[in-house]
Amino acid sequence: MLKNFFKLVLKSTRYRPMRSWLTVLGIVIGIMLVVIILSLGNGIRNAIKGTLQAFGSDSIIILPGKESNPLLGVFGGQKFKERDLMNLEKIDGVKFVVPMDYGMVSVEYRGEKKAVLLHAANWKNYAQVLESFQGIKLEEGQWPIDEITSRTVLGYVATRDLFLKRVAVGDEIIIKSKRFIVSGTMSRIGEQMVDSVVFVSMGLFRELTGTRSGSGSAFVKIEPGAPVDFIAKQIRYKLSQQEVVRDFTLLTPEKAGRLAGDVLSIVEMVLIVVALISLVVGSVGIMNTMYTSVLERTKQIGVMKAIGASSEAVLSLFLIESGLIGFVGGIFGIIFGVLSAYIIGLIADSYGIRGLFSFGSLDLFGFAVILIITFITGILSGALPALRAAKMEPAEALRYE
Amino acid sequence: MAPAQNTQSKIDPVCGMDLSESSDVSMVMHSDSSFYFCGMNCEKRFKKYPKKFQGKPLIKLNKIWKVFKMGGVETKVLRGLDMHIWEGDFVAIIGHSGSGKSTALNMIGLLNKPTSGTVFLKGKDISLLDDEGRAELRSKTFGFVFQQYNLIPWLTAFENATLPLIFLGKKIEAEKIEARFEEMGLKDRMTHRPFELSGGEQQRTALLRALANDPEIILGDEPTGNLDSVMGSKILKVLIDLNKVHKKTLIIVTHDADIAGQADQVIVFKDGSLLRDHQVHKKISSHNNDAS
Repeated sequence: MLKNFFKLVLKSTRYRPMRSWLTVLGIVIGIMLVVIILSLGNGIRNAIKGTLQAFGSDSIIILPGKESNPLLGVFGGQKFKERDLMNLEKIDGVKFVVPMDYGMVSVEYRGEKKAVLLHAANWKNYAQVLESFQGIKLEEGQWPIDEITSRTVLGYVATRDLFLKRVAVGDEIIIKSKRFIVSGTMSRIGEQMVDSVVFVSMGLFRELTGTRSGSGSAFVKIEPGAPVDFIAKQIRYKLSQQEVVRDFTLLTPEKAGRLAGDVLSIVEMVLIVVALISLVVGSVGIMNTMYTSVLERTKQIGVMKAIGASSEAVLSLFLIESGLIGFVGGIFGIIFGVLSAYIIGLIADSYGIRGLFSFGSLDLFGFAVILIITFITGILSGALPALRAAKMEPAEALRYE
Repeated sequence: MAPAQNTQSKIDPVCGMDLSESSDVSMVMHSDSSFYFCGMNCEKRFKKYPKKFQGKPLIKLNKIWKVFKMGGVETKVLRGLDMHIWEGDFVAIIGHSGSGKSTALNMIGLLNKPTSGTVFLKGKDISLLDDEGRAELRSKTFGFVFQQYNLIPWLTAFENATLPLIFLGKKIEAEKIEARFEEMGLKDRMTHRPFELSGGEQQRTALLRALANDPEIILGDEPTGNLDSVMGSKILKVLIDLNKVHKKTLIIVTHDADIAGQADQVIVFKDGSLLRDHQVHKKISSHNNDAS
């Protein structure tokens, strides 16, 4: 019986293919969004984890700006006084402090100009931070010996992908109209933003950007085993005594992770809300289609009842139809969602963010749940119109033109 | 033995008409009971087949009222209708548009519920049946043929004809159904959709659909009304064959005097109840005048 009902439903939906497919499309869009989020969520989390590992434990980063949004301070251009930062070295448990700065500048290589994030600190400190504590080595060349010669070190990606031709050690590049010799190139850190950076010494950075003193941020290395939270408290107290930067943020590894997680959660939440809204819109679409279709087929409902269809049978026919629309919407939503995630993964890959999407990490159970949800959504959206159809008196339905 | 109510409330035993308010009534003595008749025809039939009209009628409508409410306006379509249909009869129901004849047919076929009153099938009250029971009766006992054919547009002729079997959960025996299509001269039209069929082909398909569950009673709401006279008489012949050869009870609502002329019993509707039998011929001729 159910098989025959299914056939009847297929025939009636194929009778109006355009309407049926458009209704399916309404569901597809919502499900596609959910599937993209599901498929990329893990990859994005992993990418963030990688970044945090690159940043290292036993360290605190000081950024200008309010706790709620430190990034605003970074781009807002507030600078700490170097003396205030260096004073932090007096705190017990602080191994050393590296004042740092950064800014966008144009870099030219063989006539090709690119906007690049320039990162500045003292060479001595760079070598310390990166090599001795995080195991990141120069791939080629060496760290510049002094702070005043125009030498630069390029990030892994900056070496390879920034310019048409790969930059080699000993090459000359022009940073903001000043010639620099490439002294070394970094090995891969695994984080796109850090790998794309061009490094210069603090003194030359100030000369290039015209800033006389101050640092945009600072890297604080802590003695192994020292209490990070307690030291952070002391740093906060000390910095609250300086007058230049009123709002600042201390980024501990744990806090950075939480922050990144929060940002990701918010993004995921927004996307899921959007997906849910579009699912609701889709189900309203199903309801609309089913209502029209009940109206349109009023006469046929009367005929079917006249030749022996019970109210239950009519109800089943319409519920199967709406459930089927939801289910097919779910299937296509998953297919298009996975496809979109795959394409996004490919695009991210070409920008150096690897492993955002993999077929192996697809959540098949989640997809099964989605299909069940879309089927139920379809049935629920079709319930009212179907009940209306089922309750019709055959004689009245037959009279409908 | 005749039911006692017949003698007391002056019910015509043949057509079921309530004659209590009428003065122009003939009376026939049978055994030790007296019967009142609406006119010549019922009395004639009663005398010819005295046994047939003594049990319970196949279908009995008892004081049926049907009131439609539309936009606050009440329309009384059936006004206390009493009617008998006897097994194996060919009954033609005629009357002006709006006289309630189609509504009465819908009451018999359980397509509509009466506002008040009772419908009996073989002595059993079927107006109280639940939806399931009504659906089962519609499917097994009644076969409906409509003026507009009413085939499902997205199904082929074959699928339309077998639809009642699906709703009853019966197995579809393709060969048997193909043979029926062949009998109707529709073998090469089986896979066609309704819009690819002529009116006559559609109505023959609708007939096959009505007969799918081999029903006892065939109900036709102007089954030839949309057909030309040649095709109309073909369809009518099939229907009458079903009545005469296959002993099915046939109830047809019609405007066609020719159809009414071939019926065992003609019931005339006026304003939601029956018109007396002796006026029938006058009625039929006035219909013909209306039509022309």
